[in-house]
Amino acid sequence: MAMRELVTGGAACAVPGSSSVANPLSNLANALIGSSSKTQERLKEIPTSTTAGSHGQFNSDHDDFSTTLPGSESDYQQNQHADGQGLAFLDSYHATNRAGLADAWDEIQHQRNTYRNEEGQTHLTESGLIYNQGPTAQTQLSFNGTPQKILSSFLHSFVNSSCGDFPFRPTALPVLGLTKGEKRCIRDRSSIMARHFFSDKSDEFINAQVDALLCSLDIDNNIQAMGSLPWRFSDLENYWTESQGAFATSPPAERWVTEYEQQREHVDPGGWAHLFNQQHGPSGWASEFGDEQSQITSVTQIQGAHISNLAAMEQSRLLASTLAQNNDPKFQNSKFLQFVSKMSRGELFIEDNQVQSSSVSVAEDWATEYKKHYIAGLSETDQHAHKELSYGPDKWVHEFATGSKQHELVDDQWADEFSKLHVQDWVEEFGNQVGKGALGEDSTDSWAAAYDEYLSEQVATKRRLDSSKGIYVFSDMNPYVGHPDPLKEGQELFRKGLLSEAVLALEAEVIKNPENAEGWRLLGIAHAENDDDQQAITSMMKAQDVDPTNLEVLLALGVSHTNELEQAAALKYLYQWLRHHPKYGALAPKELPDSLYYADVARIFNEAAQMSPEDADVHIVLGVLYNLSREYDKAVTSFKTAIKLKPRDYSLWNKLGATQANSVQSADAILAYQQALDLKPNYVRAWANMGISYANQGLYEDSIRYYVRALSMNPKADNAWQYLRISLSCASRNDMLEACDSRNLDVLQKAFPL
Amino acid sequence: MAESTQLKSEVLLEQMKLHLATDAGKKLTKEIGHVYQLNIAPTKIGFDEVIFVVDLKKGEVKKGPYEDGKPDVIFSFKDEDFIKIATGKMNPQIAFMRGAMKLKGSISAAQKFTPDIFPKPAKM
Repeated sequence: MAMRELVTGGAACAVPGSSSVANPLSNLANALIGSSSKTQERLKEIPTSTTAGSHGQFNSDHDDFSTTLPGSESDYQQNQHADGQGLAFLDSYHATNRAGLADAWDEIQHQRNTYRNEEGQTHLTESGLIYNQGPTAQTQLSFNGTPQKILSSFLHSFVNSSCGDFPFRPTALPVLGLTKGEKRCIRDRSSIMARHFFSDKSDEFINAQVDALLCSLDIDNNIQAMGSLPWRFSDLENYWTESQGAFATSPPAERWVTEYEQQREHVDPGGWAHLFNQQHGPSGWASEFGDEQSQITSVTQIQGAHISNLAAMEQSRLLASTLAQNNDPKFQNSKFLQFVSKMSRGELFIEDNQVQSSSVSVAEDWATEYKKHYIAGLSETDQHAHKELSYGPDKWVHEFATGSKQHELVDDQWADEFSKLHVQDWVEEFGNQVGKGALGEDSTDSWAAAYDEYLSEQVATKRRLDSSKGIYVFSDMNPYVGHPDPLKEGQELFRKGLLSEAVLALEAEVIKNPENAEGWRLLGIAHAENDDDQQAITSMMKAQDVDPTNLEVLLALGVSHTNELEQAAALKYLYQWLRHHPKYGALAPKELPDSLYYADVARIFNEAAQMSPEDADVHIVLGVLYNLSREYDKAVTSFKTAIKLKPRDYSLWNKLGATQANSVQSADAILAYQQALDLKPNYVRAWANMGISYANQGLYEDSIRYYVRALSMNPKADNAWQYLRISLSCASRNDMLEACDSRNLDVLQKAFPL
Repeated sequence: MAESTQLKSEVLLEQMKLHLATDAGKKLTKEIGHVYQLNIAPTKIGFDEVIFVVDLKKGEVKKGPYEDGKPDVIFSFKDEDFIKIATGKMNPQIAFMRGAMKLKGSISAAQKFTPDIFPKPAKM
């Protein structure tokens, strides 16, 4: 059992005032190098066994390193972390013993520290001080930078790397000036987040990750807390049992709930901290042994250096220097592996504070077990904590994962806490993560579904992207290519109301004659009537390129941009319409202002309308303008005026209907659409608008029928597909969603006949 | 319409304002009963955000931050992405996953933030 403590980081080793003569760590170290118990004596021969001396010597060595070794400032933060952990580890040594071993460690660690630190000189002095002062100076140890910065970078490293292969026993102590509330948030949220990160991993692994994170966060202030905590160090066995007993006696869930309540009501936060301290503090250090990969590496380096140092004995200083210089991770790892494998083979264990070589002991079992877990990325301690402690995050994670009845409740609470955390980076990172699972019932399913959706959407958006970039997307198979007179054919088809066919014919025309403005214009109108504004805009832009003053093109562009809610563009084209109008052009100022003001444009159009009240076009443009300014009543009046002048214009009826629909006069709108459809039964846009009106009134079943009708005439109308999907889910027709997603019109038409 | 460059979202939300007065809109208020704050940025989340409050407790849409306490959820997105979500072009979950939508607050309230609460604009 003592072994367990040692290997897992030996928090329990850090018992000040321990009078035990036999130092388990030095014994362990001795055993590791395969030396006899004489090592204890030899250790003392290490020149660095006196603290002050060692520091001085190494300090001078260090100056060299720090000047000659490469390093980057950007690495500094991370290194700090590792250093911090190393320090913590070291501190436990200090607390444990003042023997030569600790000093040797001290030395090595110190060396490493400076080596990694580019600003060596200052840091060296600082850390040197800390090391040499031992536990009493621990409170002085602090990270550079603000707590937020440290936390943020740490959390980033957790998020960015999946290298935290080592689970930890969780510890929770006030760190980095985090309030308990914040800590709680981090704890809860990281639990969820880890589930998303490692959705392919086992629960245990995830728990381990979370624990690792939490522990790591606490490491920094652990130093202080641990130093001041009273440890019953002399008997590790007893300690272990005792702590187990303490945990076992308090029903974990209940305890946690109590804690939680305390937190929520902000009652006695100090008490909570104390409680937590008591519960997790003592064992906290033990769990630091395993950590994220980078931190592991640092430990590895320490140990690697340590082993070599002891093995070499007299040349320890020399070797330590060499090791410090040799930063090759492979080298460091190999040493560490040696160390681990020795333990795992049961060659080494510690009993009654004596290192023994034996094959029969509890330690061996444990070592084997440890090895196993080591490989599996799961430490014994964590498993233990998980099983027996059922401490906060674990418990909570489980509730979340099992989707218990409290799920909703917990979710809410969690979300509330979530919003209380003020570490912005983290919030965002986590926000990205949480939505995936939290918004879905079953995170795996929703992931898969979301991914599928994403893929299909990618394909769909490609087309849209192209068209929004101003590139006209032609149909793949066009039977009208090679037609002797596709324009005439297109016009004929358009007149017959076969919009999709007309589109094909007109595409053939503009492929043949890209300079044909009329071809492009008619194509644009066909697209607009077919409820595809993006393509309509692209076509009209082409038409405008060819013929920049075509009034119909300009009006159509104004309308399409209005439909796409692109106000500024719409206003621009409507204004150009006015400027290029032979009659009203004079009304517009000669200079085109850089930024158009709606009020100016509207005023000029009103003048135009007064000039010739019999011109339907002016009223149409005015109607569109009033739509832009959301003066729907005026827009309706304008369109009605225009309709009086042009009663057979189906597009006017549709414009009237759309205006009424947008001003929530849905019943009137439907009448207007009906007029448009009577004039032009294949008017896809009007059918789709019908559907929208019904949907906006909450009549989803009806809306579905109209959408399906519109789609049966133009299966390329993406908007209608999207709206159909919304209506289907609102009408609880989830059975039809699949048909909608696969765009299976036959099924939909059978299910929703009009 | 004082300025010529205006958020598309604002147009849609103006429509929403009217929509909430209808029977369908009132039903929405009853069913959802949450307050959503939308931070809509023209081009990049977090920059030049225009804040709207869609109050589905009272059935109101207002420009400016929520003043009667805390909204249930605060969403942040780009103008374009909000339109995509509101018109069903983009699934809110996907938007979320890609970071096109960020949220702060109650997840369960956020789950009710779906395309069907927004009126669909009719086209001329």
